[in-house]
Amino acid sequence: MIRVVIFVAVFLFSVCTFARTWVVAKNSSVKSIKSAIELAAKGDTIRIMKGIYKEGNMVIQKSIVVIGIDYPVLDGENKYEIFTIAANDVSIIGLRMINTGVGSINDISAISAIEAKRLRVLNNQFENTFFGIHLANCLGSVVEDNVLHSNAEVEHQIGNGIHAWKCDSIIVRNNKVSGHRDGIYFEFVTNSLVEKNLSHHNMRYGLHFMFSHNDEYRSNIFQNNGAGVAVMYTKKVKMISNRFEDNWGASSYGLLLKDIGDADIQLNHFVKNTVAVYMEGSSRCHFTQNVFSGNGWAVKMQANCDENVYSKNSFLSNTFDMATNGSLVLNIVDANYWDKYEGYDLDKDRVGDVPYHPVSLYSMVVEKMPSAVMLWRSFLVYMLDRTEKVVPSVTPENLKDMHPAMRNYDCDFGKKI
Amino acid sequence: MKILISVFSASLLILSTSACSTDPEPLIYGTDVCHFCKMTLMDKKFGAELVTKKGKVYKFDDMNCFLKFYNSGFENTEEYHHKLVVDFASEGKLIDATHAFYIKSSAIRSPMDGQVAAFELKANSDRYKNEWKGIYLAWGEVITQYK
Repeated sequence: MIRVVIFVAVFLFSVCTFARTWVVAKNSSVKSIKSAIELAAKGDTIRIMKGIYKEGNMVIQKSIVVIGIDYPVLDGENKYEIFTIAANDVSIIGLRMINTGVGSINDISAISAIEAKRLRVLNNQFENTFFGIHLANCLGSVVEDNVLHSNAEVEHQIGNGIHAWKCDSIIVRNNKVSGHRDGIYFEFVTNSLVEKNLSHHNMRYGLHFMFSHNDEYRSNIFQNNGAGVAVMYTKKVKMISNRFEDNWGASSYGLLLKDIGDADIQLNHFVKNTVAVYMEGSSRCHFTQNVFSGNGWAVKMQANCDENVYSKNSFLSNTFDMATNGSLVLNIVDANYWDKYEGYDLDKDRVGDVPYHPVSLYSMVVEKMPSAVMLWRSFLVYMLDRTEKVVPSVTPENLKDMHPAMRNYDCDFGKKI
Repeated sequence: MKILISVFSASLLILSTSACSTDPEPLIYGTDVCHFCKMTLMDKKFGAELVTKKGKVYKFDDMNCFLKFYNSGFENTEEYHHKLVVDFASEGKLIDATHAFYIKSSAIRSPMDGQVAAFELKANSDRYKNEWKGIYLAWGEVITQYK
């Protein structure tokens, strides 16, 4: 019996690695974060007490946890990148990072991680950083509960808030990003989740991703960004329960889809955008149960899109419900609710008895000649649209909703989910 | 009356010349949109422009978009009066694409992953070629890159 106890004790001893904690403070024996990083061994924790630390660039090459107490300030003095991380299992928690350097060739960031696995960036504040969090070749990492804010005046003098490049299986959750170039930017990022973030007042896009397959975007809010949200050259993306709001401007889109395939776009709200959804070269995208409300154009679908399905969406008070630039239609629009629908439902099955044509003549005219929008709502245009409804000649005859819903889907959402 | 006529003719002259101009336009970063990928131009190290003989201007954010559009047959390539690319070494400066020096390397991080940078001066391209471990390309080769 004693033998067993000794064996277990020895075993436990050998397993325990005696992780130590280093406290960095003005009155402690360790005064700088740099020396604490030097002293620390794998698995150690560094606690940084409140204060202002100006230590230039700090390189972390071992698995350690850095925790700030009461948000100590790490100042990059407008010259330096603050943390450069090249190790696995690093955590950065509860710090306030301000004033990084600005670079046109190098992407200077508050936290830059290169080939790091299982990195955790939690609960930090970023103010006036060029890039906030920059992940390159990272795996299984988490970026959660951070607040990033920058206020550059010129777009190209500012980097992205959360920038991921060639990463896999990362989670970006519950962050607030504003005043950056792109709020969240993914390039070659796969199998990742972006959830519950608020991205607003960024110079270009709230969310921007390219070549990033099999990713999921859930319950995010994208508000008032320079050009909305852009997603490009990506397959199998899921966008669920997001809000796209207040993206106004000549080249501003709630959601810009370019060369997207097999996407699931469900339960999103598109409210008050110049163009809520702009699609080009996209195939097999399923739009279901989305709400388009108060937009200039709800959907602009270029003729090079095919096999996309719009069903059970609600179109409410949009200037134009749909616009396209060709007569060939290879997409399905079925069973949506259109507030402009003027048909009737004699058999009372809650489905309109006559089809609805979402593309108006005038939207075709405006597509060719954008300045013609000036005459919108004039008597002449009204006449043209009416004539077109009776004798369709310009609008694509096949683009029609055969089963328009008589009731707004939005009311029923609560019951269905 | 004379003044009126001269003002009128002057304004007519201005209108007519401005309408038919085939001069290149500068790229306005942060405002201009790439004709091909619809992205807002942001990175001053990259960009390109095509101006047709009729004065129509197409702007691009990356060699990738520029050459995909160029090769798309949207307009006959003979129709382009100016073919311009941005010099990597001097921000936003448009140079003649046919005489530029190109470096291709996967280390180049351009807006649309074109992996090609353009240079006006050979000396500048040499410097970056070593850094990126890239290869030289000339106009005739670079137009075949994105097919």
